[in-house]
Amino acid sequence: MALDYRKCAQEIVDHIGGRDNVAQAAHCATRLRLVIKDNSKVDKEYLDNIDGVKGMFESNGQLQLIIGTGTVNKVYDEFLAITGMTAATKDDVKAAAAAKQPLWKRLLKPIGDVFVPILPAIVASGLLMGIVEALAKIPGLNFGDTAWFAFLDMMANTAFAFLPVIVAISAARVFGGNIFLGAVIGLMMVHTGLLNGWNVGSADAINSFFGVTDGVIPTWNLFGNIKIGNYVLGSISRHGYQGHVIPVILSIFCMSKIEKWLHKHVPEMIDLFVTPICTVFVTSLLTFIVIGPIFAGLETVVLNVAEVMVKNPIGAMAMGAIYPVTVVMGLHHMYNVIEAGMLSSVGLNTWMPIASAANFAQFGACLAVGLKVRSAKTKSVAVPSSMSAALGITEPAIFGVNLRFYKPFIAGMVGGAVGAVFGAITGIGATAYGVTGIPGYLTVNNPLVYTILLAVSGGIAFVGTWMFFHEEEKKAPVAAPAAKEENFVGETIISCEAGKVAAPVKGQVVAQDQIPDETFASGVLGQGVGILPADETVYAPYDGTISSVADSKHAVGITGAGDMELLIHVGVDTVAMNGEGFEVLVADGDTVKAGQPILRFSKEKIKAAGHPDIVVVLLTNSDDYNNVTV
Amino acid sequence: MKEFTYTVTDPNGIHARPAGVLVKQLKNFSSSVTIFKGDKNVDMKKLLALMGLGVKQGDTVTVKVEGEDEEACVAELLKAFQENF
Repeated sequence: MALDYRKCAQEIVDHIGGRDNVAQAAHCATRLRLVIKDNSKVDKEYLDNIDGVKGMFESNGQLQLIIGTGTVNKVYDEFLAITGMTAATKDDVKAAAAAKQPLWKRLLKPIGDVFVPILPAIVASGLLMGIVEALAKIPGLNFGDTAWFAFLDMMANTAFAFLPVIVAISAARVFGGNIFLGAVIGLMMVHTGLLNGWNVGSADAINSFFGVTDGVIPTWNLFGNIKIGNYVLGSISRHGYQGHVIPVILSIFCMSKIEKWLHKHVPEMIDLFVTPICTVFVTSLLTFIVIGPIFAGLETVVLNVAEVMVKNPIGAMAMGAIYPVTVVMGLHHMYNVIEAGMLSSVGLNTWMPIASAANFAQFGACLAVGLKVRSAKTKSVAVPSSMSAALGITEPAIFGVNLRFYKPFIAGMVGGAVGAVFGAITGIGATAYGVTGIPGYLTVNNPLVYTILLAVSGGIAFVGTWMFFHEEEKKAPVAAPAAKEENFVGETIISCEAGKVAAPVKGQVVAQDQIPDETFASGVLGQGVGILPADETVYAPYDGTISSVADSKHAVGITGAGDMELLIHVGVDTVAMNGEGFEVLVADGDTVKAGQPILRFSKEKIKAAGHPDIVVVLLTNSDDYNNVTV
Repeated sequence: MKEFTYTVTDPNGIHARPAGVLVKQLKNFSSSVTIFKGDKNVDMKKLLALMGLGVKQGDTVTVKVEGEDEEACVAELLKAFQENF
């Protein structure tokens, strides 16, 4: 008999004292493990008899309910849904919010979500890789021959060599798949049994890897030789996807969908082993037969187009613009084929300035974001990412910053386009390949022109980003300055030798003895004034520290310069409203600036509750000063 | 030093206005007055500190008074507590 998971979870919740009594919930292969706050609220007898609960015991401070393999995770899901304890509810809210955005923004969002958690890894590797490669190119230093170089090079490129694995794990987390299954898919895409993705364009590497002579990557034809036109059904080209991002994210997205679908439809008894094996099998086929080849095919197209385009300035401009797009799509692996071809035919690499312009423009855009944003988190990502980009490793800047905010990315494309056309007109080139950005100085034939090229591309991207990119402003404090100008008058109402107190709320100031409350009016609590509020926001009257916020939210104490202790009390007897109609915007110990909103109240609700809405402002320690003017 | 313990019965706890009155009365005494709630304690002669303690109905507080006029101060305080809180 199929178990009603929801009913089972509901009964559990009802008999453990409700959601408020649960500190933590988790599950293992067979048991639902709950950390209960107050055990006395748990109805153990009832729990034992719930349909679906096979037994229960307490261990290590956990209440463990035995539910069974394959069932427990479903009851757990329902349990989370009922109690609202899961992050999933937050995700739902986010998803609902995201659904309102245009499609292309919704498509970009997961890329950012996947990349942000892995940024530390690729920023570290990116910077190190840029430095190590630059050192190796310095003539006369012979750093490239040292053991240190070999070691550092290995260390630095690890995150990039196995990027699909890191991306896969992060993507599995984002899409709600099993992260270990995600890791398997990622590892498969860079398996050592496959030709390294960076060598797809190199006939020599192909010949030595597969022991062939024609420079063509052999295939596995899974379904024999059934042809549809030139396409062999189920044909897998035996190369890996090193350095790829989008195909990995797509694969893991499919994997997560497949896994969730299977979890739902596979009978519980066999779910634990059937679902993983089917998930991996189907995802692998999809990855190597459909997703991978589409991107590999696109890469060849891009290569062919690029080879033709770079021959004239207009084409160069276009390449400068779309270069970062090809990086995003993971279609940039074979550009070194173009560079090598140029060097062997004319001895000058004119592709490098285009790539450099494009990369340096991403640096400029990323740096602008880093300098402009206020969010410490974004800043801490953007600044080091831009440094890495300046050294020619743009992945952190593109995926971690520019693409997420999209406008910097576009500014970077414009900068790259202008820089590339400049490079094509001046005929600047490099005598080697492999480095761009600042390390590019070591290989270019005209450092002065190269400087202008970098300045133009980076500069345009920087300025463009600075002008058009605005940090998303969601939180109230950011909106405050505007409100401040409107309603924070800043008129001084109390002054003493320690400082001045500005009116915390807009409205008509009345003398203390006019306050409709004996205690306040008598001055027993200190000297001050009343304000008949014309607005519903209380602002900090001076720079200071919040020393107390009443639980009923109607009064706030602020300590300011010279130990001035000010009490702002909204309304009379409003303590009886128990916070209804009040919203406190600060907490005990917060530092506030004059004019910062600290409390909002509803005049209507105060009136409805039958209280005067006068805002009482008292200097509670006015006795400590000799010279108080009100 | 003298001390006493009191459980607040007023539904609003020690809130702004009566707390202010209390502090005002205390300023007439030279003794130092400290109020303890749980593991927190504050100088009871400071209104904002007292309010910051957030004493609610049902909370038990301990008040310690130390100084020359501690006897009178405690008597006054007890009366004030019973009247207002």
